[in-house]
Amino acid sequence: MAEPVPSPTAPPTSIKRLGIAALASLVVAALVFVGAVLPAERGVDPLGTGELFGLLALAQVVAITAEEDEYRLDAYELPVGPGEWVEYTYRIQEGGTMVYSWTATGPLEYNFHSAPDGAPPGYAESFDAQENDVAHGSYIAPFTGVHGWYWENAGADEVTITLHTAGFYRDAHVARDRADGYRTLRDPRGNPVE
Amino acid sequence: MFSFLRPGILAALVLPALLLAPEVAAGHPMDTQNAAFVQGVDGPAPAPFMYLGAKHMVTGTDHLLFLVGVIFFLYRLRDVVLYVSLFTLGHSVTLLLGVLGGLEVNAYLIDAIIGLSVCYKAFENMGGFERVFNVRPNTKAAVLIFGLFHGLGLATKLQEFTVTDNGLVANILSFNVGVEIGQVLALSAVLIGITLWRMRPSFFRHAFMTNAALMGGGFLLTAQQIFGYFFYP
Repeated sequence: MAEPVPSPTAPPTSIKRLGIAALASLVVAALVFVGAVLPAERGVDPLGTGELFGLLALAQVVAITAEEDEYRLDAYELPVGPGEWVEYTYRIQEGGTMVYSWTATGPLEYNFHSAPDGAPPGYAESFDAQENDVAHGSYIAPFTGVHGWYWENAGADEVTITLHTAGFYRDAHVARDRADGYRTLRDPRGNPVE
Repeated sequence: MFSFLRPGILAALVLPALLLAPEVAAGHPMDTQNAAFVQGVDGPAPAPFMYLGAKHMVTGTDHLLFLVGVIFFLYRLRDVVLYVSLFTLGHSVTLLLGVLGGLEVNAYLIDAIIGLSVCYKAFENMGGFERVFNVRPNTKAAVLIFGLFHGLGLATKLQEFTVTDNGLVANILSFNVGVEIGQVLALSAVLIGITLWRMRPSFFRHAFMTNAALMGGGFLLTAQQIFGYFFYP
């Protein structure tokens, strides 16, 4: 049941024209690839076109970000009694980086959360919520505000957290269900950090 | 009226521009933000995975160019539905089997084949097979078989991330449904454009050139993947 189809392909043409078209498409593809894609995406510039048109700049990886705050470090041992919680936060500017590492003597429910400046009380964005006795990582603040951990000890024994951080932050703040207040940053030897 | 636009030449200019979109040149991976989400997922998350599937399709020049080639000479809606269904069948099978079976294929090589599938379809549209080999390979079989490769490409994109077994099937199915939604969205736009163009005599005059440009796009996609395979394994 062959139905008439207007044209399944382009109008018939010669083998020569087909060959020229196929070859031309290959050459154009090769030129665009070598002349534009390689310099812009990979920083490879065999024809010099990347230099000529300024495409090489696109391939440069931004590996360094300047920070606004001063560089600081902090070490802290926090005991958390059975059934108690503790929150420890820093002020970090938008884009500010912090590396951190903490271990605990037992499993804790925890989250890392952040509250932007001007947010309604109690509002926070949580980035990492789970139960564990260890976490290492780096954090880049998505906005200016307070950023830090909330740990809760659901077990029957006291757990001690050992936290080390370094980065571009200030104003360490401790909160517990009994009391809260600012704390002086301390380096791993226990000396106060300005 | 718009003959000065010379659609064939226009296509030749626009195609490389499309291909230079950053996600294509980088092998069309997901954004880092989306990737972070996929890695953090533990359990079924239908809506996000559907969105990711649709986004991958709508922004995936490789899949789109192939579909442009497939529907270029399909005039009846019935034929469009038939061919697109064959393509969908093909890529659904390998997406599911690929991820579920933990099939390990090289993403660069699969994407290179996907690029060549665009060249194949363009060559077919140019009447190349009749003219050079005096035969026309089964067009339906070709779409189905290349659909299988496109599905493997989709599978490698999902596999690049540690998708947990928890809710895996639901999430792959959601991703696949999203791919189909994205495909329908993109196809609608392409169909409207091609149908309007077909009403003008310039369509036939420039059909050959347009498919030659499509072929160039396929070569460019392939070149990027082969380069990636050898220099960024």
